[in-house]
Amino acid sequence: MIDVRQLRKRFGSVTAVSDVSFTAPNGRITGILGENGAGKTTTLALICGLLRPDGGSIQVGPGDHTPLARRRRVGALLDHKELYDRLTVRENIAYFGRLHGISPPDLHTRVQGVVSQLGLDRIADRRLAGFSQGERMKVALGRAIVHAPGHLLLDEPTNGLDIPSVHGLRGVLRRMRDQGACILFSSHVLDEVRALCDNVVVMSHGRVVARGSAAEICRQTECPTLEGAFLALTGREVIPS
Amino acid sequence: MSLAFVVARKEIRDHARDPRSLWSSAMMALMGPAVVLLVSLSDRAPGQNGARVLLGTLSVFALVSAFAGAIDIAMDSTAGERERRSLLPLLLNPIPRSDVIVGKWIAVTAYALGALALNSLGVVAVLAWAAPLLLASRAQLIVVWVVLGLVPLAALGAAVNLFVAVLCRTTKEAHTALRFLVFLPMLVGMFLVFFPSWTGRAWFLLPIVGQQTLIALEPSAPVVQGAILAIVTLVSSVLPLVAASRVLNRDDILSA
Repeated sequence: MIDVRQLRKRFGSVTAVSDVSFTAPNGRITGILGENGAGKTTTLALICGLLRPDGGSIQVGPGDHTPLARRRRVGALLDHKELYDRLTVRENIAYFGRLHGISPPDLHTRVQGVVSQLGLDRIADRRLAGFSQGERMKVALGRAIVHAPGHLLLDEPTNGLDIPSVHGLRGVLRRMRDQGACILFSSHVLDEVRALCDNVVVMSHGRVVARGSAAEICRQTECPTLEGAFLALTGREVIPS
Repeated sequence: MSLAFVVARKEIRDHARDPRSLWSSAMMALMGPAVVLLVSLSDRAPGQNGARVLLGTLSVFALVSAFAGAIDIAMDSTAGERERRSLLPLLLNPIPRSDVIVGKWIAVTAYALGALALNSLGVVAVLAWAAPLLLASRAQLIVVWVVLGLVPLAALGAAVNLFVAVLCRTTKEAHTALRFLVFLPMLVGMFLVFFPSWTGRAWFLLPIVGQQTLIALEPSAPVVQGAILAIVTLVSSVLPLVAASRVLNRDDILSA
């Protein structure tokens, strides 16, 4: 479970995140929905321990909550997800496994498991230069889950992917959710959120403006669609179709 | 610390597959011996007195080779990672950022030592051909100079290069900044070759100046001075490494 309370972060005079609170339970996909610049990426970076918050608390699973401890429990695929082109798929994934302290005998099994799970067997021993966007995304996801994290954080993971790759990624995320993982997923694509997320947190201008299931958010705003609800919550005018 | 070795191992493997960086390091390492070989082939080949200038010139290029022998690898592993946007995923792992820097430093130092070894072979080959008497009389001094002077300088150079490169957002930016840095050992070295009277005792403990002073000492091998200089140079590496780790801890390191 990820529990965020009154999280705050400023960059100079700009308030990126202000009093953000929400809970993402285990066995659920929680979507953070917001327009560009709403604070979604900053919130994920704070949860991962990449950025230091100016205030508030972050809890990722039980136990120690230092940034280093949080990073041990989290698998993350944030905005920057580039790989090492001169290494093979296996080497890329194994590198991150080693950084998570997986012992050599276990590492080989883990890497092979991830390679098979993501359908990368055919290209597992090829260096990454020349890979398609979809293949690169799968390798990046493989790196993020090689240590079998209980919590997965994804920042607009389907950007630039073709339809089969999006479909494959959704399948992987649903399988992980069904195995009990807590998945936190940021997007500004409504279809994506509707298709994947069990719970939704709507952010606008660095603040949480609504949370609940898509149906609950529609009820709260008295809008028949999530799109209408989102526009109403973010202060945009709903243009009748 | 073991995680630093994981990073080092990856960097060494990664850059071993980068022929452009390897060729660049090799060419920089062999530039000095090649230049001096050309000078010795000319009609104005040095006599015994000129042989000292020849050794001095070789030493300046050796300083540059040790200090900046793996400059491309330092750039690629830091500014290159920022530019390619692969730094953020690396920092998402449960590894202290000081270990990331130390790992990269180990790798850059390893490549700088490779460049230094190549340069040393070139120096010995050129001296054996152009000034065999000088080589015979200074063999011990050259060994002390390389082991106690240049090997620690390679470690310091790797640390300084990493610090400068990690401040840069792109390899182009790092290239511009580090190009100025390469002139430092070259200018200091050349100055001391032509104005050796400036190498007083007080300067001896200063890295780069100390290395160039060491090779000018004769005739015996200055082991004690070399050992002191080696310790000072290695300890000096800590400062840029700490500074580089602090840069990695800044929030703006995540912006490409």
